[in-house]
Amino acid sequence: MKVSKFWFCVFVLPILLAFLSVVIIPMFMGIYYSFTDWNGIGNTPNWVGISNYIEIIQTDHGFRESFVFTAKFAFVSVIMINLIGFGLALLVTGSSRLNNILRSVFFMPNLIGGLILGFVWQFIFTKAFDSIGSSIGLSFLEGWLSTTSTGFWGLVILMSWQMSGYMMIIYIAALQSIPESLKEAAKIDGASAFERLKNITIPLVAPAFTVGLFLTLSNSFKLFDQNLALTNGGPANSTQMLALNIYKTAFTFTRFGLAQAKAVIFLVAVAAISLTQIYYSKKREVEM
Amino acid sequence: MKRSKRLLVLSMLMLFALATIFTACTSQPVQEEHDAADESKAAQEQQSEPTEEVEVDVFQFKVEIAQELEKAAKEYEAANPNVKINVETVGGGDDYGAALRAKFQSGNEPDIYNVGGPQDIKDWMNKLEDLSDQPWVDLALEGILSGATVDGKIYALPFNIEGYGFTYNKNIFNDAGIDAEKIVDFESLEEAVKALDAKIKAGELKDKYPLLEAVFEYAAKETWVTGLHTSNAVLSQEFGSSLDSFDSQNVEFKYGDALKAIIDLQADYSSDADSKAKLNAVDYATQVDEGIAIERVAIIQQGNWIYGGVRDIDENVADNLGFLPIPVKGVKEDSIPVGVPMHWSINKDSSDAEKTAAKDFLNWLYTSEAGKDYVINKFFFIPPLKGYENLEPKDALGKAVAEYAEAGKTMPWVFMGYPTGWGMEVLGTEIQKYLAGDITWEEVISSSQAKWSELR
Repeated sequence: MKVSKFWFCVFVLPILLAFLSVVIIPMFMGIYYSFTDWNGIGNTPNWVGISNYIEIIQTDHGFRESFVFTAKFAFVSVIMINLIGFGLALLVTGSSRLNNILRSVFFMPNLIGGLILGFVWQFIFTKAFDSIGSSIGLSFLEGWLSTTSTGFWGLVILMSWQMSGYMMIIYIAALQSIPESLKEAAKIDGASAFERLKNITIPLVAPAFTVGLFLTLSNSFKLFDQNLALTNGGPANSTQMLALNIYKTAFTFTRFGLAQAKAVIFLVAVAAISLTQIYYSKKREVEM
Repeated sequence: MKRSKRLLVLSMLMLFALATIFTACTSQPVQEEHDAADESKAAQEQQSEPTEEVEVDVFQFKVEIAQELEKAAKEYEAANPNVKINVETVGGGDDYGAALRAKFQSGNEPDIYNVGGPQDIKDWMNKLEDLSDQPWVDLALEGILSGATVDGKIYALPFNIEGYGFTYNKNIFNDAGIDAEKIVDFESLEEAVKALDAKIKAGELKDKYPLLEAVFEYAAKETWVTGLHTSNAVLSQEFGSSLDSFDSQNVEFKYGDALKAIIDLQADYSSDADSKAKLNAVDYATQVDEGIAIERVAIIQQGNWIYGGVRDIDENVADNLGFLPIPVKGVKEDSIPVGVPMHWSINKDSSDAEKTAAKDFLNWLYTSEAGKDYVINKFFFIPPLKGYENLEPKDALGKAVAEYAEAGKTMPWVFMGYPTGWGMEVLGTEIQKYLAGDITWEEVISSSQAKWSELR
């Protein structure tokens, strides 16, 4: 017993130290700064109590709008990404000979950095969409990213395109772990393809849904690069997501204390939402 | 035996962990600097002067001069073998201020960096070296150092003088039969724009300029174009100087209607005139590279800094650009805003050797013959100092700014004194909402006024 305690320390201590120094300590420093009026240059910050938090709740409409926008975006993109990802996974676990190529193709967007993707899609939305729209007379393809709704859908499309391939990989792994015998038995019993999907495949893939939903939910909430590159919050800050709002508070308005306070609220919100989701998704998982 | 093996594993693990933690904490470049210094010491043993190698890190924001500045640094290094200049550029669409703060926080503080107006000088005061004793101080043009002076001490060297106005394509104006000389106030500008618009719509200029589709292009996505530059023309009549706007507790928008007129004129005769919300997606590249440079539009509100970019696309267009005034209706209708966009400053906390080398480099760049050649002919700067008499600006727009400056037809740049973030994040975005038709002009004014007072 004594020995195992010793070895426990040996293996945990190094990683614990690393975790402390790069995550826990900075987090507490951040919480400290959220109670100050630090301007980011290194002058000694003044303690201002909870006035940053009061300001966020009472007067900062930009933050509230960003929160609502982010929540909407997360809701839509989580559904889209997981549906598309699961659909692609079903597609490439079939019996086609193109499966391996298709998997690589669908996964490819995930290998490109968010900033570059943002600029590429910016070009597609503002230039390609526009010229296609004007040449075939579809006016809704024109003027993308210049309004809030096109900015919103632009972001959803971009994220779905990028993240679906990643989710696909997770779902492929889950799908392949389902024993053929179960499906065959159901088939012999006369279950249709849809019934097999609904009653066998989906319940058995539930653990993967837990992971998939968690990843997409937290990624959608924390989205920054794509938001910065695609719309940069425009028009009129109406597509500004939380991370970008915090960034601008810190680096454009140079109010680092206020930005830290926002970041603390952000952390609490993302943690609460993600943990709730995990709790409910876990309940739905079934043992084989 | 077993025990010693365990001990070995344990000690190796601990060593590894400690090594990871400590190497993560030391900043890498310091290490490299020492190595470089050691190597160069050995290399320099033959030289009579046992000078130590100095590395000067320059962190600057002007993308347009990035390559040429590196060449200038190489030339300086050739003349001063003990100095190494590292130029790093972050700018353009990016927020230089953000990058600079991140740079300072990372611990790799640059030796030479850029500061803008009074707010920047105040923010960075603890990091600014007093440059009052520098030789270029006496050469500075009248009043040009006012933005960098605090309590009689000079903290920064102006980059250059820049001016912006309604940049127009002289060829298109000639072919449309419009005399730009006669545009001296808002009324005559509006008339000329209407005449040109009618000709474009009638297709009269189609043969010569197949891409020409509108008079203006207005980059409302770039909130500095709207919130800083457009507004500056009008607010400069209210404030007088960047120090005045910096000290002002509130903004009145005394000539708000004139601002509305300037914005409306650019929007109503742009290529997106029928749905102005689309202007909110027009960026700098669309306005300049895919706008005036390919002769898709005839006038844009931009400054002399676009010359190099336009020249790379079409030299003929670049050499035929000129400035029309930005007329502030009823106040000052024949002038363009001219000012100092950025300053060079030196980090007070750098080592003495680095500071000396940094000062010498700036001096060399702005006062030696070789440096002046770069400033005028490679950077296309309009110099902020005297002593450039035999080196006239070579580019069409630089000349145009110089002409306006000589004629005294200038307005100051007061946007340097706006509250931090107000111009771009408040006024610029309010103008976007106005163009999208979400709010009225009165709401633009009232919420911008409120935000100014709040941010002060």
